[in-house]
Amino acid sequence: MNFTFHRKRITGVLVVVPENERVFADEMKNFNFPEARSLKLKEVMGFDKRRVVEPGVCVSDLVVFGLQHLFETGALKREEIDALILVTQTPDHFVPPTSSIIQGRLRLKQDMLCLDISQACAGFVIGLMQAFLLLEQESIKKVVLVNADVLSRKASPKDRNIYPLIGDAASIVVVERDPEDSIIHANLKMDGARSGALTIPAGGLRQPSTLETSMLEDVGDNNLRAKDHLYMDGAAIFNFVQTEVPPLLEDLLTRSGVPRDSVDYYLCHQPNRFMLQKLADKMKVPYAKMPNNVVEHFGNNSGVSIPTVIAYDLGPRLLTEQLHVCLAGFGAGLTWSAMLLKLGRLTFNAIIEFK
Amino acid sequence: MDKVKFYEQLAKILDIAEVKGEDVLRDFEAWDSLAALSVLAMADSKYGVTIKAEEIRSVSTAEQLANLVESKQKK
Repeated sequence: MNFTFHRKRITGVLVVVPENERVFADEMKNFNFPEARSLKLKEVMGFDKRRVVEPGVCVSDLVVFGLQHLFETGALKREEIDALILVTQTPDHFVPPTSSIIQGRLRLKQDMLCLDISQACAGFVIGLMQAFLLLEQESIKKVVLVNADVLSRKASPKDRNIYPLIGDAASIVVVERDPEDSIIHANLKMDGARSGALTIPAGGLRQPSTLETSMLEDVGDNNLRAKDHLYMDGAAIFNFVQTEVPPLLEDLLTRSGVPRDSVDYYLCHQPNRFMLQKLADKMKVPYAKMPNNVVEHFGNNSGVSIPTVIAYDLGPRLLTEQLHVCLAGFGAGLTWSAMLLKLGRLTFNAIIEFK
Repeated sequence: MDKVKFYEQLAKILDIAEVKGEDVLRDFEAWDSLAALSVLAMADSKYGVTIKAEEIRSVSTAEQLANLVESKQKK
């Protein structure tokens, strides 16, 4: 499905990461796993350091911290926020929306729209689309798009396939109308028939959390996981990305008439280094144009991964320059989505630590 | 499909000097989920085929794996 947006732009990016850092080599000592193979995983997949919240920390805590920082530094004014979109898979509660909790904690104005969207690794691109649509309204001048997840709290500490890779984070991205006549192309595909490849089986109403769903089960290869925990079929997701994402990007480039070499950066979701290198190979894009280093510094932080690449790899540069970038998100749903836009001359683009 | 070449690519993934057709994959020390993922990637990039993790699990020897990739190519 294709989308076109006119006269919209990103004006600021702030990423909030927990202070607490875990190191892969240390964590792997907790698993019954040969050290040589851990080293190989580190080398190939890029697993090294990741940021996780302390017990009890919720999405709204990270987001309130980040927004307060922006208010205090004068980068954003409280009363300017006409819409707050929160994209998360790990809300504070079922009811109410976590965006409303954030609004209440910060005493934001009542004359605004708070909206939660349930999306994961493709959630930044989807959130941007929603932000652009809201900006068609005269009354909405500034949208704050927030992506935030604390998935470490839903990962089994005894599951080597998921636990040592997950990172927690939040991003706050300001989206506004562009005075220049800019065009943004995007496309999106979804396949709910494959939704079982990335899921938390219990904890919703279909299968409520009980003592039984919290029991660790042997799922093979010395890994233990409960039904309350995040499950990922790694091989199926790998195949999904290699098969579906390149044609999505090809279609987007063709439709927008942009030669692939004139794109300065391909800023993709960051599952691991291996997957991104294979994607770059398939797209015939040099590795330098498709950064893959978020996972080694922060872990796979779900929908916050693209803002993290923007802030970590292009931080100060995007304050002055403007670059032609292609964004690509892919994950739970299954959902895969891409967007081609000019990004730059931001008023802020940084990473701060949640304390 | 050039099986000699395929065994060379497999040996590279497994970090050893040589792989023979009759070798049982599970017997290799380096045969783990990362190796299986690397095989998926190799099948995709070098042979243009998508194989599933359960299909890899269903074969025992290097030759059976080569046959699996080859059979997909013909389709």
